[in-house]
Amino acid sequence: MEESPLHQFELQRWVPISIGGLDLSINKAVVFMWVVIAVAAVLMVMAGSSRKLVPGKLQSLAEMMVDFIRTMIMETMGKDGMRFFPLVATLFVFILFSNYIGLIPGAYTVTSQIIVTAAFSFLVYGISLVVGFSIHGVKFLGILIPPGTPGWLVPLMVPIEIISQIARPISLAVRLFANMTAGHVMLAVLFGLTISGGLLIGWLPFVFTVAIYLLEFGIAFIQAYIFTILTCVYLGDAFHLHGHEEHAH
Amino acid sequence: MPQFEPDFFSSLIFWEVISFGILLFVLYKYAFPGILSALEEREKKIKDSLDQAEQHRSEAERRLKEYEAKLNTAGKEAEAILATAKERAQRLLDENEQRLTAEAERIKGDATRQIEQERRKALQDIRAQTTELALMVAEKVVQRSLVEADHKKYADEALEALSKSQPR
Repeated sequence: MEESPLHQFELQRWVPISIGGLDLSINKAVVFMWVVIAVAAVLMVMAGSSRKLVPGKLQSLAEMMVDFIRTMIMETMGKDGMRFFPLVATLFVFILFSNYIGLIPGAYTVTSQIIVTAAFSFLVYGISLVVGFSIHGVKFLGILIPPGTPGWLVPLMVPIEIISQIARPISLAVRLFANMTAGHVMLAVLFGLTISGGLLIGWLPFVFTVAIYLLEFGIAFIQAYIFTILTCVYLGDAFHLHGHEEHAH
Repeated sequence: MPQFEPDFFSSLIFWEVISFGILLFVLYKYAFPGILSALEEREKKIKDSLDQAEQHRSEAERRLKEYEAKLNTAGKEAEAILATAKERAQRLLDENEQRLTAEAERIKGDATRQIEQERRKALQDIRAQTTELALMVAEKVVQRSLVEADHKKYADEALEALSKSQPR
C-alpha cells in the first residue's frame, strides 16, 4: 500500500457547511484548530490561575513562555510595544501548539496549510501598516527610503524597498508553511521506506525517522519563535520608523 | 500539493479567524493577566528582597562603624584617664618628696641653728668662766706671793677647773 507523502495534507469535507455560497465546511484541519485552541486555552488558563510565588511545573513553563515573549517585545519595540503583547503572545501560542500537536502521529498540522500561515502573516503585516500610518502618517512612506540613502539613489531604492516590503508577509507565510510541510513530508517518506524496507533493511530509515522526528521538535519551536520575532520586528519598524537598524529577513 | 488547491481556503480562513479570536479572547481575559502579574509580583518580591538585604547590609555596616568609632573613643578616653592618673600620681609623689625634703631641710637647719646657738652659748659661758677663773687665779697669785714652783701648779689647777666647767 504505497501512499503519497503528500496524502497527509489532503482534506475532506467532514461536515459540509455553506453560508451564502461560501464554503465553511468542517474538515480535519478545522477540527485540529479547535484541538489546538482547546489545549492551549486550558493549559494557559490553568497556569494563569495558580499564581503561586514558587511556581509549579506548568506555571513555570507558562511564565517562561510569557517572559520570553515579553523580552522579545521589549527588545524590538520597547515598553510601548507591550500593548501588542496579547496579540503576539497568542500568535506564538497558537503556532507553537499547532506545530507540536501536528507532531502527534495521526494529527493534522494546522500550520502546514499555506492559507493558514498566510492569514497570520498578512494579519501581522496589515497591523504593522495600520500602526505605522496611524503613528507617522504619510511620513511612514519613508520606510521605503533607508536612512542615509543619497538623493540620486532614491529612484532605485524605492522599488527595491517596495519589493522587500511585499516580500515580508510572503516570506513569513512561506517559511512556516514550508518548514512544517517539509518536515512532515520527510517523516512520511522515511516512514514509508521503513514499511516497504521490511525488517532486514527497514531499521535504517526508521532510525532516521526517529532522528528527524526529534529534530522536528526543535523546528516546531524555532519556527514559532521566528514567526513571532519577525512579527515583533515588523511591528517595531512601524513603531519607530528607522529608529532601529533594518533587520535582515 | 494539496495545500495550494483553493477548495478549502474559505473554510480554513474562516475557522482560523474564529479559533484565533476565541484563543486571543480567552488568553487575554483569563491567562495573560494572571501569568504577567505573577511574574511581576515575583520580580517585585525579588527586587524588594534584594533592596532590603542591601539596606540591612548598609545598616549593619553603619552600626559596625559606629561601634568601632565608639570603641576607639573609649580606648582613647581610657588612655587619657590613665595618663591623667599617672600624671597626678607623679605630681603627688613629687610634691610629697619636695615637701618632705623641705621639711627635712628645715629640721636640719633648725637643728644646726640650735647647735650653733648652744655652741655660742657654751663658748660664752667658757669665756665668762675663764675670765672668772683668771681673775680668781690672779687673785690667788697676788694674795699669796707665790713661789716659782707654785706658778705651774696654779696654772694647771686653773686649766683643770676650766676643763671641768665645760660639759663636753
